[in-house]
Amino acid sequence: MTAPARPSARVQLAAVIHKEVRQTVRDRRMMFMLIAAPLLQTIIFGFAVDFTVDRVPTVVADRDRTDLSRLHVRRLLADGTLLEARVAHAPGETEADLDEGRAAAAVILPPRFAADLVAGRSPEVQVVLDGSDPNRSVVAGGAASRYFGEVGEQLARAQLAAAGRPAPAQLVLVPRIAYNPTVKSPPYMIPGIAAILLLVVTTIVTAMGLAREREMGTLEQVMVTPIRPTLLLLGKIAPYVVFGFVDVMLLVAAGTWVFGVPIRGPIPVLVVGTLLYLLTTLGVGLLISTISTTQQQSFLAGFLFMLPAVLLSGVVSPIRAMPAWLGAVTWVNPVRHYAEVMRSCLLRGAGFADLAVPLFALAATGGAVFLAAVLRFRTRLG
Amino acid sequence: MHDAWGGGRSGGAGRPGVLLDERLRRSFIRVGAMAGKETLHVLRDPRTLYLALVMPVLMLFLFGYGVSFDLDHVPVAVADLDRSDASRALVRTVIGSRELVSAGEADPQDAERLFRRGRAAAVLVIPRDYAEKVARRERVTLQLLVDGSDVTVANQVLQKADALVRAETQRLAGAELARAAPPLQVKLWTRYNPAGRSALFMVPGLAAYILAITAVLLTALTVAGEWERGSMEQLFASPVGRLEIILGKLAPYLVLGMLELLLVVAFGAAVFDVPVRGSLTLFLVIGFFFLVGMLGQGLLVSVLTRNQLVATQAGTLSSLLPSLLLSGMVFPVENMPLPLRLLSSVIPARYLVHALRGILLKGNGLAVLWPDLVAVAAFAVVIVAVSTARFQRRLA
Repeated sequence: MTAPARPSARVQLAAVIHKEVRQTVRDRRMMFMLIAAPLLQTIIFGFAVDFTVDRVPTVVADRDRTDLSRLHVRRLLADGTLLEARVAHAPGETEADLDEGRAAAAVILPPRFAADLVAGRSPEVQVVLDGSDPNRSVVAGGAASRYFGEVGEQLARAQLAAAGRPAPAQLVLVPRIAYNPTVKSPPYMIPGIAAILLLVVTTIVTAMGLAREREMGTLEQVMVTPIRPTLLLLGKIAPYVVFGFVDVMLLVAAGTWVFGVPIRGPIPVLVVGTLLYLLTTLGVGLLISTISTTQQQSFLAGFLFMLPAVLLSGVVSPIRAMPAWLGAVTWVNPVRHYAEVMRSCLLRGAGFADLAVPLFALAATGGAVFLAAVLRFRTRLG
Repeated sequence: MHDAWGGGRSGGAGRPGVLLDERLRRSFIRVGAMAGKETLHVLRDPRTLYLALVMPVLMLFLFGYGVSFDLDHVPVAVADLDRSDASRALVRTVIGSRELVSAGEADPQDAERLFRRGRAAAVLVIPRDYAEKVARRERVTLQLLVDGSDVTVANQVLQKADALVRAETQRLAGAELARAAPPLQVKLWTRYNPAGRSALFMVPGLAAYILAITAVLLTALTVAGEWERGSMEQLFASPVGRLEIILGKLAPYLVLGMLELLLVVAFGAAVFDVPVRGSLTLFLVIGFFFLVGMLGQGLLVSVLTRNQLVATQAGTLSSLLPSLLLSGMVFPVENMPLPLRLLSSVIPARYLVHALRGILLKGNGLAVLWPDLVAVAAFAVVIVAVSTARFQRRLA
């Protein structure tokens, strides 16, 4: 009696892939979570995530009530950064509006504002800001001080001219904005959101999928079959590489059609970048599944990885705004590099030569994580 | 008679007093037993507990240090076509600041290559006749080429460069404008967070985020786990009523969630000097109702999915991302398009974030925050009622 020969590697691999695909596709909810949910989220969050600060609710306390003071209030509000939410009549009302959240900024023109301005007695405009959202208060304060600064400068020039003295030179800064002329948020955010969603879908699904098989005892059953651990591993992740690619295509298409995100760079850069990124995200999922025994643990561990990876990726807030040591840590963060590759390729039209550094970083982290996962997986099963 | 709650009430109607008390007492014992069993589950798995308690601290550090929109040292390249003393003085004012730093000299044609490689965020172009025009007291146009693909950086570079060029104009005007009294003064006064620190903004939002994660996902996982393993049927076969099962299962996570809430505020105060200006009691009350709502949501997810893998994805979709992105925690709600503003009004995290900022930073009391409390409590009542109803129907 001779033992039956082990089936060829291709047959083993095909069998595992077949089983994994059937198991996933059969579960409608799973398919929804893998394909429809990321697409839906991209569209919702593409609209939700907006860094533009405008329409800041403002309470206006015009204590002067002259034509001139009303004119300045109207012009201040004209650019849309500040939005008149209320008009304060009594003193102390502005404080209450800020305290109770009815307004985030208050502009107070003093009594005799117009008379003082005309007579050259330099009236003082007060701007009170709700600082609990620093970003918003900086923009609102900037808009107010820029407007009144310009008014003051024009008046000063007029005074010099009236006195018969020449006005000094004036520098004017004219911005020309490349790639995204209206500085809209979606073209910036969509590539980053794609990176995050891909991470959520692939890492958690791999981590929990294996833990689930272990919980249900089906992993042991597979292990007594003649399949090799490495092939089992490859077969289990291969379908998710395909799902990942489908997701990326859908997200980029949604970005293009719904948000007008351009595709300026070569497609192969996106393909290579996505492949290297999936290597990392799936590798992390596998690694987590080898160190946890229950689905609950692997979910939490996956989450513990995802959270810093997302927050320190430069997608939510710029890496340059982080302290230097934390900025250095982000070098090993695959989300940072993938978001950079996607953004740079789609918006700036960057090619392989431009993106050599992030692509190399992705390959290095991906290779290391994947190798570690395979080794651990083999020892666990062996 | 399976429904101990309903039985208790009808018995109480007939013979008030002793029997009702006895039934309630027994019911409490059963809830206590369920809670004890669930607590044992949590405690026996120290990794879960560890992750649930380490996560808030880790997130606090990440948000506190990592999530900041205040940029310094943004690299700006200079294309100085004039190369005069005047143009070099301008470069010193603009690039010598802490906010913008030099990314070297560049040709205007090189700008795109610098942007593609991420070497510079903007290129300042000084025209050939800069010194001449300044001497003749004319208007000089400076060009700033900006990489618009990174929105936050682009906006800040625009704002900072504008302010710095304005400063150079004033420096050039020097004595002449200084002699004349400033015709108009602006005084900016920032309340609640005068230093503009991001951590003060983030920590209250973070509390909502952490509670959403812990409550929804842990509940969803633990209840879906019982369905998966089939131990839910065993529980149904026991004399424990449905509401008792729910209360017992949720109680330990309620405690864990309240612990996390306190942990976040304590760490925020200790590490990032986040003030607690309002009432801590109000803070705990609103946190409690929010937590009950999140636990109910987790329960509903698990009842609907009965599968841990699907439950996590559904939980993420329904609680974690909305409470990060639609709650006003990072991105202001008033800037969203109308459909999303409407959507955000049914997300309890929005009210919690608003209430916590009000309590911690502004010292608001119930007089201002009662709508938030009502919204959070209403969500809790509705979601617990709906998930209990689903729980029963599935059983029959």
